[in-house]
Amino acid sequence: MILASAANVLVWVVWVAAAFACLASGVAVISFSNPFYSALALIGNLGSLAVLYLLLSAEFVAAAQVLVYAGAVMVMFLFVIAYLGGKADAPWTGHLPGQTIAAIVAAGALLVEIVLVIAGQADGHLSSPAEITDSFGSPAEIGRLFLTDQLLAFEITSVILLVAAVGGVILGSHSRQEASLGDDDARA
Amino acid sequence: MNAAAWTCLLLPLGSTVLITLLGGSISRRAAGWISTVSCAGAFAAAVVAFVVMLGRSPDDRSELSTAYTWLAAGNFKVGFSILTDPLSMFMMLVVTGVGSLIVAYSLGYMDGDDEERRYFAYMSLFVFSMLLLVQGGNLLFLLIGWGLVGLSSYLLIGFHHERPSAVAAAKKAFIMNAFGDATMALAFFLLIQKTGSLDFDVVFSRADGLSQTVLVLVALGLLGGAVAKSAQLPLQTWLPDAMEGPTPVSALIHAATMVTAGVYLIVRTNPLFELAPHVQELAAGLGTATLLMAGLIALVQTDIKRVIAYSTMSQIGYMFLGAGIGAYANAMFLLMVHAFFKALLFLGAGIVIHALGGEQDIRRMGGLRKLMPKTWLAMLIGGLALAGIPPLSGFFAKDSILAAALAGDTYDRVLFAVGIVGAFLTGLYTFRMLFVVFGGEQSAYVREHPPHAGHDRLVNWSMGLTVAVLAVLATFGGWIQFAGVWTPITDWLEPVAKPLIEATNSQEAVASIISVAVGALGIGVAWWIYSAHRMKAPRPWAVLEHKFYFDELYNGLFYWPAVALARILDWTVEGPIVNGSIVGVAGLTRRTGDWFRALQTGLVRVYAFALAAGLAVLVLVFIAVR
Amino acid sequence: MLGPDTAAYLIVAAFLFTTGALGVLVRRSPLIVLLSLEIMLNGANLALIAFSRHFANGDGQIFALAVMAVAASEVVVGLGLIVAMARKRLDLDVDKLSSLRG
Repeated sequence: MILASAANVLVWVVWVAAAFACLASGVAVISFSNPFYSALALIGNLGSLAVLYLLLSAEFVAAAQVLVYAGAVMVMFLFVIAYLGGKADAPWTGHLPGQTIAAIVAAGALLVEIVLVIAGQADGHLSSPAEITDSFGSPAEIGRLFLTDQLLAFEITSVILLVAAVGGVILGSHSRQEASLGDDDARA
Repeated sequence: MNAAAWTCLLLPLGSTVLITLLGGSISRRAAGWISTVSCAGAFAAAVVAFVVMLGRSPDDRSELSTAYTWLAAGNFKVGFSILTDPLSMFMMLVVTGVGSLIVAYSLGYMDGDDEERRYFAYMSLFVFSMLLLVQGGNLLFLLIGWGLVGLSSYLLIGFHHERPSAVAAAKKAFIMNAFGDATMALAFFLLIQKTGSLDFDVVFSRADGLSQTVLVLVALGLLGGAVAKSAQLPLQTWLPDAMEGPTPVSALIHAATMVTAGVYLIVRTNPLFELAPHVQELAAGLGTATLLMAGLIALVQTDIKRVIAYSTMSQIGYMFLGAGIGAYANAMFLLMVHAFFKALLFLGAGIVIHALGGEQDIRRMGGLRKLMPKTWLAMLIGGLALAGIPPLSGFFAKDSILAAALAGDTYDRVLFAVGIVGAFLTGLYTFRMLFVVFGGEQSAYVREHPPHAGHDRLVNWSMGLTVAVLAVLATFGGWIQFAGVWTPITDWLEPVAKPLIEATNSQEAVASIISVAVGALGIGVAWWIYSAHRMKAPRPWAVLEHKFYFDELYNGLFYWPAVALARILDWTVEGPIVNGSIVGVAGLTRRTGDWFRALQTGLVRVYAFALAAGLAVLVLVFIAVR
Repeated sequence: MLGPDTAAYLIVAAFLFTTGALGVLVRRSPLIVLLSLEIMLNGANLALIAFSRHFANGDGQIFALAVMAVAASEVVVGLGLIVAMARKRLDLDVDKLSSLRG
């Protein structure tokens, strides 16, 4: 049907745009020497990924991606970069020339291997995607899975978050102790 | 009878354990009393058993009492058993009787020594071990007792462990005895394999069917043990060195009991020896050679205890001669009276040594007979008995052996001739010692250190009384058997050891007259050289002074090759291979560690690269395998 | 399914992953390294979502959410470390931080 093919073409166009944006911003992250620009490029990367998730019918994950990743994590990054100021500036590379070449070779090899596998259709497992229901990827479905089949993952994830929060507090508290010691000296 | 026999065996063991456990909480003298009373108690138990045995008919006198099965391996069983028969009864009486006298003497001799408790614990251990040896109901327990007396001997020779010479002597004795233990063990292995048992009656009855080779090997193994324990040729070098131990130890272990264990062994296993007659003849020959050699060496010894030690070696040679030609009862008779007069001689020498404050060199003694008349009398009795002068005990025993040798074949008669020469030497060296020590004028040393009577009544009584008892025994002890006329000992032992040779009355007479004459001749020569004219004795040949160079021979045969081999092994094996491999392993480990350390660059990027590279390789592998 | 099939998404994910790996291996600033790590995690997430769609199994999305939570936690700790380093006036250069050298 023309409608179907129009929808298909639309999806294709969106896909190409999002994929291109994704890859370009990824390269940009590792290329800029100014970390501020790198963080901004990463935000772009996260946004295009959210679009791709939508194309894959993962609505809740896409929303979470934008809210949590781009909204919270990247803001944290930008706070730290702003705090560090000039110290965050880093030259591109140096000191280990062999490392750079070897790294490019290794990463390239990895990429080639994965592409080959995928191109070979992984022995035919990747030929036809399954049919999905309307509720696939909806918040209700995710919630149901989290609270029934994957309850353990849910709980453990919350524990990990707690641990990270504690870690963050501890890492930050050293300086406060040093500051308070300084105050004691001043008072005495 | 069995209860008495077990009591006799276990009392000394009990006293050892008691003294050991009580340790320092009892006084030193109390330890001595415990040991003495236990040995006396053992003697009393032995007498009780003896009386019971007397009441039985001669065929019924043997009893085997088993406490429990000590070892069971397949068909082979050995029980913790003791055998009470005429032969073991005889030995029990001798061991506990003479033993308790000597332990009582030790009460006085060792008085004041710091380690008196240890001494008495060891003495009780020895008495127990010797009783186990003679009472053992099978060959295995005989061997256990054998080993334990060797241990007690080691402990007691090395009693003064702060003296390196004593320690060396103890080791020498133990190692040479270990050689004998090994040959005996080999013989026992053969017996187990061929007869399946170590019980006396089973072995003796089944020995008939064994091949001559096996019988000769077994007899040789037993002879090896006997020769080692009794210090006969060629394993005799440990006995003179063993005089480093305290004098009562020399009396008990190295004169009266332990060294006679070899004779006991031959008499006990006489059925086996009779089936290998050449080995038995060899035993007689070794004994004879020993008695001659020991007699010659004793002529030049200057230490009073060593003279007596060599005379012990010589007399045991006579016992081996007797057992070797089949005159078992005569050999055991000599064993008994030898215990009496040899212990008498040793203990008397101990009194002399004690009185002179530890001096043992006879060249520094002299003229003691007026100062110590009672000791002089006791030693004189002992010396006369040793030389075989009637009516003292030695005469009856020794010449009965010589008469039996005369009654035998040509080989035996050769041994008889050598025995006669030995009798001459015996008289000569014994009275040389007696005249030098007690006769003549007082030497300078004696004048400086006059023998002092101790002030402690217990010491005086213990040493004096026991020596007096032994003197009485040495005088009258031989009257229990007069060959040809009255032979209770031969009859007593007949169920166990039937003599192979019996001398006729005329042979007895001939042997007696010759041996007495020769002995008296020896005494006369000694008197002429050492007492009457006090002339300078002829310079002894170096051979005699060096004890026929046996020590040097064994040194060269065994010690130096072992040292050389050890050095060679040290250079070739220990250094490069053992040490080198350990050091090499350590070095290799360190070098490997260093190499691995180079991987730890500390740079995160390098580690991350390693991860990525590894991942790439792994994926490649997975693809390829798929 | 409309649009390109699963293989295309997977190739995009692979590219993202290797780009992030390259960034981790090559850059010297710990901040950029953390950003590159984020890219790698996102690449993995994309692959998870793609497979979840392919097999019509919601577990993949659950896992992706968990990965996101973990990534957030790790960023917290990592940034805390970087701030501590800055406080101690250390050079923000992974090559200089080699006191664990063997």
